[in-house]
Amino acid sequence: MLLPKFNFYEPKTQGEALSIMNEYGLKAKLIAGGTDLLANMKRKLLSPDALVGISEIEEFKNLEISDKTIKIGSCFTVSAIAESAVIEKKISALAVGARALGTPLIRNLATIGGNLGSARPAADIPPSLIAYNAKAVLKSVSGERTVLLDKFFKGPGFTEIQPNEILTEIIIDIPDGYYGAGYINLGIRKAQDCNIVNVASFVSLDEPNGVINSARIVMGCVGPTHLRANAAENILIGNKPSEKLFQEAAKIAESECKPIDDFRASAVYKKAMIRVLTKRTLDIAVKEASLK
Amino acid sequence: MKQIINLTINDKKYEVAVDANLTLLDLLRYQLGLTGAKKGCELGDCGACAVIMDGKPVNSCLVLAVQANGKNITTIEGVEDENGLHPLQKAFVEKGAIQCGFCTSGMILSGKTLLDKKPNPTETEIKSAISGNLCRCTGYQKIIEAVQSVSCEG
Amino acid sequence: MSNYDVINSNAPRVDTPAKAKGKAIFIDDMSMPDMLFGALLQSPIAHGKILNIDISAAKKLKGVKAVVTAKEAGLIPYGVSPARYDENVFCHDNVRYIGDEIAAVAAVDLETAIAAASLIKVDYQELPALLTIDDAMAEGAPVLHKKYPRNICAQVNQEFGNFEAGLKESDIIKTTTFKSKRQDAAFLEPQGCIANFDKLTENLTLYSSTQVPHYVQRILSMVLKLPIGKVRVIKPYLGAGFGIKAGTNTMEIVSCLLSMKTGKPVKMNYSREQVFMFGRARHQFVHTMTTGVKKDGTLMALKNECYLDGGAYTSFGIATVYYSGSLLGGPYKLPNMKYDGYRIYTNKPACGAQRGHGGVIARACWEQQLDMIAEELGMDPIELRLKNMMVTGDITCNDFNMSSLGMKECIEAVKDGSEWNKKKGKLPKGKGIGMACGFFVSGAGYPIYRSDTYHSTAVIKLTEDGGTALLYTASSEIGQGSDTTMAMIAAETLGIPLSDIRIESGDTDFGVDLGAYSSRQTLMTGHAVYDAAAHVKQQILEVLAEELNISADEIDIKKGIIIFKKSQPDFSKLRERYIKEHRGWTDNPSADDPLTFKEASRIAFLAKGIISANGKYKPHQLGGKFKGAAVGTSPAYGCSAQIVELTVDEQTGQITIDNMIDAHDCGFAINRVSVEGQMEGSLSMGLGEAMFEEVKFDSKGKIINADLAEYKIPTALDMPPVKAIIVESSEPNGPFGAKEVGEGAIMPTIPAILNAVYDAAGVRIFELPLTPERVYQAILDYKNKKAS
Repeated sequence: MLLPKFNFYEPKTQGEALSIMNEYGLKAKLIAGGTDLLANMKRKLLSPDALVGISEIEEFKNLEISDKTIKIGSCFTVSAIAESAVIEKKISALAVGARALGTPLIRNLATIGGNLGSARPAADIPPSLIAYNAKAVLKSVSGERTVLLDKFFKGPGFTEIQPNEILTEIIIDIPDGYYGAGYINLGIRKAQDCNIVNVASFVSLDEPNGVINSARIVMGCVGPTHLRANAAENILIGNKPSEKLFQEAAKIAESECKPIDDFRASAVYKKAMIRVLTKRTLDIAVKEASLK
Repeated sequence: MKQIINLTINDKKYEVAVDANLTLLDLLRYQLGLTGAKKGCELGDCGACAVIMDGKPVNSCLVLAVQANGKNITTIEGVEDENGLHPLQKAFVEKGAIQCGFCTSGMILSGKTLLDKKPNPTETEIKSAISGNLCRCTGYQKIIEAVQSVSCEG
Repeated sequence: MSNYDVINSNAPRVDTPAKAKGKAIFIDDMSMPDMLFGALLQSPIAHGKILNIDISAAKKLKGVKAVVTAKEAGLIPYGVSPARYDENVFCHDNVRYIGDEIAAVAAVDLETAIAAASLIKVDYQELPALLTIDDAMAEGAPVLHKKYPRNICAQVNQEFGNFEAGLKESDIIKTTTFKSKRQDAAFLEPQGCIANFDKLTENLTLYSSTQVPHYVQRILSMVLKLPIGKVRVIKPYLGAGFGIKAGTNTMEIVSCLLSMKTGKPVKMNYSREQVFMFGRARHQFVHTMTTGVKKDGTLMALKNECYLDGGAYTSFGIATVYYSGSLLGGPYKLPNMKYDGYRIYTNKPACGAQRGHGGVIARACWEQQLDMIAEELGMDPIELRLKNMMVTGDITCNDFNMSSLGMKECIEAVKDGSEWNKKKGKLPKGKGIGMACGFFVSGAGYPIYRSDTYHSTAVIKLTEDGGTALLYTASSEIGQGSDTTMAMIAAETLGIPLSDIRIESGDTDFGVDLGAYSSRQTLMTGHAVYDAAAHVKQQILEVLAEELNISADEIDIKKGIIIFKKSQPDFSKLRERYIKEHRGWTDNPSADDPLTFKEASRIAFLAKGIISANGKYKPHQLGGKFKGAAVGTSPAYGCSAQIVELTVDEQTGQITIDNMIDAHDCGFAINRVSVEGQMEGSLSMGLGEAMFEEVKFDSKGKIINADLAEYKIPTALDMPPVKAIIVESSEPNGPFGAKEVGEGAIMPTIPAILNAVYDAAGVRIFELPLTPERVYQAILDYKNKKAS
């Protein structure tokens, strides 16, 4: 399997990278880990004129942690996320998602930015990030903007990123008080799998064993992008967690997802699994919240 | 147009001219004669092409040679030293962890990276560390035993 | 401990240090000076008539050295079995599957070769693509091969005993239908080859990733019209094959053709996608079985009807369709067996032989049915099996001779090892335990082509100083450890350490060996190696006896030392001669040392020249006389029993295999670690087939998961701990009592899992693989049925 021909650019700074993208736009593709891009190019699904390597630009590889926020550079690798003690402590569901992605060999190359940018509805990183209400920072030569990840995905392979923009970092505001999140992905085998469905759920409580004051449920593989289970979230808010409440929320989430039949599983099964995983991730989230 | 890259492979410095669309795997195998990394799928699915890049095992079929510029690479050929086989290589031989041998290079490099970081891994950690290296012959049992045997010896 | 010095041990394999260092040379690690690269043009449609092929643009591309089509390749049909030679090198009239080969190019580099192949213009008239057995057998469907109406590639109708009579005597009759899915063997090394034709001498050498250099040599000779003596096939180290590399592939012929055209070496490789497109792995089987038993559990009769989705060509299929009937003849006493098998051509890649050839799904179907019968009888499944199992000396209704059969020992070993009695039916909800048995041939009793040929030959020759024995065999080390097995047999037989054997294998110049398939090499090549080694040893003993003026019977060789069974004669003269010939050597023996093999063989060399011997083996007259008796007839049969424990997540349908235990009767373990390795590997492959694996097609006949991401073989995290127990029943027809292990061990895996799922979740599932969705659906149906 040969790669098609292309020019390779390796800007040294963010500024250089931005001006190359400004010039090339759609004709260039950014490459960080390359695990998705190069496979697609080998399959002749993509043949960009130029690749712009950004994985060596230091600004894109930072992990910045403060009391209030975690900022993850877009070229931070998935394995680094999986191994980060702070991420494990503060936003554990992201670490779980990172560990579920691909294989160790893939995770050592793959980056958080790449997993978001490739916009696969089955991806492991986005659900937890959306559940934590994370934002993406998009920069271009003319400035920068911040987009809520919940609004970032436009369809399979499509995102808010414009041809002259680079996703530079992900910002997660650390929630206050008693919060927790769970992420579960369901596949065929126990490693290296493309998910059949995946769900991340986030809840925060007003006090330990208190009522839920915010909730986000994110469902993967059941629509062109990751979907929020808005109605299910709504019935959680203002209520105390209970088996019954979560079962109810799970049932509503099931009705909110829009899967299609494909060679991995039927829509009927995917819907049923959304219910199971929603319930289970809520259980994990509340358990974590109560321990805070 | 070819680009000049500089990289260190198994402690030896190389300066090579490469096409942008050449993978690290093809550079190693077809230009540098280091055929220990195997070509099993070319899509990052099997792990037979694994090499250690800056301390981490990666699928060399998904790394462009130009991306390896400035990197420190260890291939299976660099695992043995003047004292002979690395303990993990020895364990693979002695425990019967090798059948066809096509996954072995990548498997040993994944196992070695784990042991370097964590000298006494649990069975689950071993399985997880090699979960990107497919083996169709052994059922993994003796591979896991080989890694365990080295960890016990400390 | 055994009385042996070399065999029956855990000796490290002879090939693995090189493999551990990354230094073992596989086909794609090779290159040759001035080598060209070949690429294939393969059909993009599943079924069509070729109207025109235009190669002009491809020929003109700079760097292209040859373009070949059916015009250059000719139309000599070939295949695996002469009974069904239905392939041509290139399609000339019709294309029959997506991937069918139409043309090939040799060029200075791979990029150019691929570019040129894509410039070949083919006009097609599309025909309906027959993608299922029903499509292919439908009234009025187009016929893939004119000779085979209704697309029935092969049909087998056999009856042993009288099924209907047996059924009449039965108290319980059970019928089930079971469906499996097309497999890919997913060996890690894609097929590849390098052909090198010397125009001057007209010698052709093919280096290829093959399990069967001998069969490839014959096919090349036949198709390319070269004398066998001009064709040499060499197998470098092989990244496994599991049966798929046991036939000739298109590249093997095409690369030779291109090399003959250009006079240069030509290298070709399949990409992983092409590995899937070439196929030749396990068929999809649909079995319907009816079994009759008496109230006491005695098996009375079995009717087995099977349809195989064969793909576009026969490959091994004619053997497969026989095996899927015949392999149920054992290991249980079954007086009446009727079999109707149909292999159907479809517009998909050909299916062929894969580990456990033809028997795996038949076994899965039947062993699950036996559990259902046991339940109805109120019998423990193990009891039912013990009641019916055969023992050494039994002969099946289809004339297979169980010359050794440790079935009982296997069952008892797994029963005890798993604490079956404590667990069966007593595990908590969601957890289950299941068992099954199986059995398999130790080598096909007959070659693929009808012949009186020796199945294996081996040559052993001693180096002139006797320090090393060189063993040459054309057998195939494919990863299973045969080189080590043969070296160990040679060492044991000669009475020297394993380190003093140097083995070269996998080269047709070394003799005749039918290769690595049907679990034959340990028994058959092992016999030939034993034969050669025994003759070499005898020559040494005879020379020594003459020199020392004693009888050869009084001498033996053990651990490299000459043993004098009676009194020790004065051998100082011999030693003097030896030392005189080795002036300057620092390791010469001193007076008190025992006489060594090395010295003795030097003396023998001085007397007779190079000491060498030819060993050979072919099976004695075996089996029945009925049509198809050749398939399944073997000099020996291995058997095994397995117990699986697992957990079913009833909400998601996900299964986690918690534990597996396997006991296999390999007759006698030449290398114990290798035997365990075959068992563990078989279980892993069986687990994959049971749980994950399925080659899937779109509506046009294109494979949609032709990669190792979506075709899911087990990862390390999917494998439970496996306990492998070796049972040794001492096979009279095997060298040192050895018989197969490489394939038989896969037989019980799938049904043991099926039976454990039933124990865990109360559902019987009759279709593979056990995806979460399929299990979930079965549980849902079961609950709904229970509720209503």
